[in-house]
Amino acid sequence: MTIDFKPLCYSLVKYSSTLFLYFFISIFINKTYAAEGGPCKDYGECEEFKHSLTDMPSLQSGASTFITYCYGCHSLQYSRWNRVSSDLEIPEEIFFNSLVFDPSIKPGDLMVGSMSKQDSAEWFGVAPPDLTLVTRLHGSDWVYTYLKTFYEDSSKQYGVNNLVYPGVAMPNVLAALQGNQQLVCKNVPVIASNGGEKRDDLGKTITEEKCGYLSVKEGTGTLNEQEFDKLIYDLTNFLTYVGDPDKIERERLGWYVVFFFIIFTALSSLLYREYQKDYH
Amino acid sequence: MGAPVIVDVSKLEPGQQIQVGWRKQPIFVIRHTKEAINNIESSLSKLADPKSESIDEPYRDINLTRSKSSEFTILVGVCTHLGCSPKFFPEVEPKSWDASWTGGYFCPCHGSMFDLVGRVFKGVPAPTNMKVPPHNFKGNILTIGEDEEMS
Amino acid sequence: MSDNLTKVFNWINHRLPVQNTFERHLSKHPVPKKVNFWYLFGALAAVVLVIQIVSGIWLIMLYSPGEGAFASIEYMMRDVDYGWLIRYMHTTGASMFFAVVYLHMFRGLLYGSYQKPRELVWIFGCTIYLAMMAEGFLGYVLPYGQMSYWGAQVIISLFGALPYIGESLELWMRGDYYISGITINRFFALHVVALPLVLIALVFLHLVALHEVGAGNPEGIDIEAHTDEDGVPLDSVPFFPYKVLNALVGIGVFLTVFTIIMFFFPEGGGYFIEYANYEEANPLVTPDHIAPVWYYSPYYSMLRAVPDKLGGFAVMGAAVAIFFVVPWLDKSKVASIRYKGVLSKIALVLFGISFLTLGYLGTVSVTEHRKTMSIICTFIYFGYFLLMPIYTSIEKTKPVPDRL
Repeated sequence: MTIDFKPLCYSLVKYSSTLFLYFFISIFINKTYAAEGGPCKDYGECEEFKHSLTDMPSLQSGASTFITYCYGCHSLQYSRWNRVSSDLEIPEEIFFNSLVFDPSIKPGDLMVGSMSKQDSAEWFGVAPPDLTLVTRLHGSDWVYTYLKTFYEDSSKQYGVNNLVYPGVAMPNVLAALQGNQQLVCKNVPVIASNGGEKRDDLGKTITEEKCGYLSVKEGTGTLNEQEFDKLIYDLTNFLTYVGDPDKIERERLGWYVVFFFIIFTALSSLLYREYQKDYH
Repeated sequence: MGAPVIVDVSKLEPGQQIQVGWRKQPIFVIRHTKEAINNIESSLSKLADPKSESIDEPYRDINLTRSKSSEFTILVGVCTHLGCSPKFFPEVEPKSWDASWTGGYFCPCHGSMFDLVGRVFKGVPAPTNMKVPPHNFKGNILTIGEDEEMS
Repeated sequence: MSDNLTKVFNWINHRLPVQNTFERHLSKHPVPKKVNFWYLFGALAAVVLVIQIVSGIWLIMLYSPGEGAFASIEYMMRDVDYGWLIRYMHTTGASMFFAVVYLHMFRGLLYGSYQKPRELVWIFGCTIYLAMMAEGFLGYVLPYGQMSYWGAQVIISLFGALPYIGESLELWMRGDYYISGITINRFFALHVVALPLVLIALVFLHLVALHEVGAGNPEGIDIEAHTDEDGVPLDSVPFFPYKVLNALVGIGVFLTVFTIIMFFFPEGGGYFIEYANYEEANPLVTPDHIAPVWYYSPYYSMLRAVPDKLGGFAVMGAAVAIFFVVPWLDKSKVASIRYKGVLSKIALVLFGISFLTLGYLGTVSVTEHRKTMSIICTFIYFGYFLLMPIYTSIEKTKPVPDRL
């Protein structure tokens, strides 16, 4: 007696593949619940940041902002002063006289910060982290969004909270520049299930009140919105540079090396074809 | 190395957890809300070992919190599976790992779940409840790593 | 002058089989004349091995183990001229090594390269894979970042799941009650001396065994069956220059891809160098999202799928160990997938999909759906191997031609 496996196999394959396909598709769907949010937490998706590591004025302005506002608490402990000044094309004299006021700092020193870790841990409850690699750890998008999403929250120790980093133990040192940012509610169009705006019978857009929008109280900051965005852009650009100072050089060199191997492949493939004729 | 750690717990808000280091291990100190204490016994069916019978429990049958205090829980913040440090999610709301989440700890490494007092769920990789370190309260002063009062 | 040179050469040859070995294993070594690109990955693995050894020697000059490991990496990346080049070469090499070896292994399954008489070649290969996994893990711990620390914590704790000896084994591996500079020091010693020696010895055995039985081909034909009067297979060509030139084209393509990654995408989107490893190890905080590097993630998924500490470890171990017995699970009369039946084809496709799915699942966070999926895929993974004796013996195979 012979058993015909074919129909059995086909139906088995059919049913199992349907089941498999169902589960296969379902793994990519991650039911996100409100509390978990996106990569930028309460803000959702981070804002996109496009670095420009050859834009020296931007990097210089970012370095200056960093040293003025951030370096008091945060170090860049793997980076050296003179490397920053030469990479950013700031003459060493100008750099050390107008940005680095501390005469005890030597050009080749690491930027280890001006605050002892122990003191700061006592003041803030947690030592402010070193920021050399922050853009590589969280990504530049995250840093850029984080710096722009502080808002007033009187329940917190420093009177501010952050959408990207809820419960952050850091005061908003840039508040004087940005002004007082708050979470507000406003009327927004209701989005229909087809993705468009919902309209009533008269064709008017239906709106609903939604909360959690960031808004700066007018006149409370010394910079306007565009100026402040530019400041944060430059600062993030500088931190992106500090995270990966050899990026430009690496990519420049990369073109030559990749080009070399493309030529190498082409030549060896021509030679191989020539020799292949021997046995075909 | 094993010096005891002293924490002033009066600063903790109800529902808050703080983390301190003791013997290079994270120690969680949680101040429970009233509702959380009332709910401790409500999710027993999810737990693998609600009475901590399979481990050496130091303060058995004293408090529901497994500690020497009826309001605080002190845990060695190390998952009993493969040693990661679980995350604190006190909210009662659906989570991607459990649609009927009632607050507790979730381990990001292999998905083990524990309730608010560190008791392990059924059907997760972790075999036992989180450990309770030796501790001792003197008013609001919590000493971790020391059982008896030293005078 | 050339007379003198010949004399020297002869003098050596009478005492050391230089010419003989060179001809037998390189210049005149016969290889099948018709193979496809799947047969390139062995040569590519050898190329990466050399890259890893050379870049590794340079790295040892710059790296300092112990508690200062993280800072020493940043020192070489910033203060040493072209230090970044050496390091990215090594990190890219690690990922490429596994990529190439996975493809090489898949070739083995596809064309039955493990079948008689190549069982030992296959077993040495599986042992190389095992040694590579250990080598990769040890190397991953050395930068002492957050992922290094927690990866090491998890892997060392895995051994703690073993009954009776578990806890003392853990302590012995760490050399301390927690992962510390001492652990890094010993991992460093194992990573740069012990395991490379083992790997090189195994690669040597893999090649000696291969040259004894000859390379396979995608048709699964035994080319030794038809030889000329000198005993050279008719369907073969000498290794030099034909195979060398063929490999050179493959190496060219491979190094193009390699350098594109190395210079432009060294982090590989967080898969080759994980972002969380840009933070120094912190024993008090586990990163929110923890995942191993991509080449371990299929096994990591299996570990997560099993709700039991020892069981998870056992399943993971079995998943790797099962490769060793494949030569005895395959009962088919033919070697190549080209002549095997439909069941083998379905099984291999399902296995491939489940392996990739497990790999993907290991890099994302757990949800209930994903957990179910990883359980299903784990079953398929094992089903491929355990059912192999059945489906390879009941299916109908096609006749294999005589000549290549």
